[in-house]
Amino acid sequence: MCHMTLTLPEACTAETIAPLWRASFDEVARLGSGDTLTLDADQTQACDGAGEALIVALYRQAASQGFAIASRDRGGVVARTLRLFDPATFRAAPEEERVTHTPEQLGRAAVRTARDACDQLAFLGEATVAGLSLLLRPGRLRLRDTALHFERAGIDALPITLLIGFLIGLILAFLSAASLQQFGVEVYVADLIAIGLFRELGPIITAIILAGRTGSAFAAELGTMRVNEEIDALVTFGIPPVVFLALPRVIAATLVMPILSTFAVVAGLLGGLVVLLGMNVPAVTYWNHVIASATLGNILLGLMKAAVFGLLVGLVGCSHGLQAERSPDAVGRSATAAVVGSLILITLFDGVFAVLFYILGV
Amino acid sequence: MPEPTVIEVEGVDAGYDGRVLLHDLNFSVRRGETFVILGGSGCGKSTLLKHLIGLNPPLRGEIRILGDRIAGGPAEERARALRHFGVAYQSGALFGSMTLLENVRLPLELFTDLPRDARDLVAAMKLDLVGLRPYASYFPSDISGGMRKRAAIARALSLDPAVLFLDEPSAGLDPVTSAGLDRLILRLRDTHGITFVIVTHELASLFAVADRCILLDKVRRGILAQGAPAELRDRPPHPDVRAFFNRETPEGSWSPNV
Repeated sequence: MCHMTLTLPEACTAETIAPLWRASFDEVARLGSGDTLTLDADQTQACDGAGEALIVALYRQAASQGFAIASRDRGGVVARTLRLFDPATFRAAPEEERVTHTPEQLGRAAVRTARDACDQLAFLGEATVAGLSLLLRPGRLRLRDTALHFERAGIDALPITLLIGFLIGLILAFLSAASLQQFGVEVYVADLIAIGLFRELGPIITAIILAGRTGSAFAAELGTMRVNEEIDALVTFGIPPVVFLALPRVIAATLVMPILSTFAVVAGLLGGLVVLLGMNVPAVTYWNHVIASATLGNILLGLMKAAVFGLLVGLVGCSHGLQAERSPDAVGRSATAAVVGSLILITLFDGVFAVLFYILGV
Repeated sequence: MPEPTVIEVEGVDAGYDGRVLLHDLNFSVRRGETFVILGGSGCGKSTLLKHLIGLNPPLRGEIRILGDRIAGGPAEERARALRHFGVAYQSGALFGSMTLLENVRLPLELFTDLPRDARDLVAAMKLDLVGLRPYASYFPSDISGGMRKRAAIARALSLDPAVLFLDEPSAGLDPVTSAGLDRLILRLRDTHGITFVIVTHELASLFAVADRCILLDKVRRGILAQGAPAELRDRPPHPDVRAFFNRETPEGSWSPNV
């Protein structure tokens, strides 16, 4: 039979218990059935959660190893702890962490994706109906809201659009000029930049900016409104949230994109001009090539693509916002999903346009 | 012998952005008592609470918790003052990406050297104190508003503070759940000797838990009355105090003066 004494400090706090914890359990590990541990708490004046945890853990250990505990407890610390907490109910690993296994995760992800797709489809249907009904009754559109979102998505985004457009034009000119200069045809850089920017890069760059700036903002705004039950309030008033909240945003995004895209193209052309001026190509020659390449067809195709991309960004942003869950972190998730979803759809539709234009020969 | 003072508020002007909502506040809270800050909507209760817990410095005056200034002193003094208290916010303010156990364990991970199993056990015991141990692996979004408030109390208790501030603990709860929360407050006060400072406008909770209270005055921008709730109700020192306890509004007004 073995007898051991463990003396608790005067103040059983996290500071004093932390170094004692491991040593105490290493000591009592040697005790077995028929042995006794004397828990000396006579000097203990104060005991916080860590001290209480040590007492509970020792009693739990005693139950599993079969040794007895005799306490010296002049201040009543041990008795009070045992009155508050029953050691038998605290398992060794107190609470299981929530563990999910891969098949379960996959299943949950699949269900979530399917549900998400259904929600998106439902929103698309609702938005289409709302848009068509707006054609019959245009007075229902909230013009002030539309103008506000137009300003936020368009005028406020102008500086970054111009900067990125300019830099893209500059970079494109540099890269292409380096190759074309070897054949002495660097002047054709103007054609390449003009066609590239009008048809492809202008709308794409602007759509990416719109998705990052505005699509995420739409999702976050509407997601926050959902958390604050503002959308529920609209529903109970009988006001369709899609008409009241989504349509002004979607229309603003659709209208603003061709304008922003045009600014990006002009800034890109200026970027190209700066590079070609550095290569001694006269500005007049550059502009002549640009004007020759910028056919009405190319310009209209670019503007049409930009409008479609704007529509996609607006729809995806609003749909993720309106379908956000009711928790604060859901707002962040819906903003992320809006940006990711917009980028995927923009790329997908760009590919569709490329094939379509090829088939149509435009 | 009276219990020692744990919170001293001396000559405090409460407000924000230079705008004074409450002038020259003076009161103290003694160890082990349940002290309620009372008043109607918009009287500055939450603003005062933000000063007391150090989220906003007072516009004037000094707040000391166990002798340490919460604002206006050196950073070490503020850090000491912050360790003296815990706060349970009105919404619970639990971290949504963590389970209840992880929420309660987080302060222990950051501020103690306890080993992992000890931290887990302490956190589980804190949840047990508020009756939420079976829900330790739940996320805040999986539980009810009343449970979230109790979980917030468990998290605020994790480092065993001397003082616990509760912001509107009864708000949004049904009377039965609210009464349960009142019983929890009293139990924690009795078993752990915690000093409670509670911001509320719920009269039922006030009479259930408070040892003393102050009644803030929206019109005069200060403390209208302080003392034991029953005493203030039975012998109101001012007509507005009686009006508040009788749930009366002044002629032609929608809200009380306090």
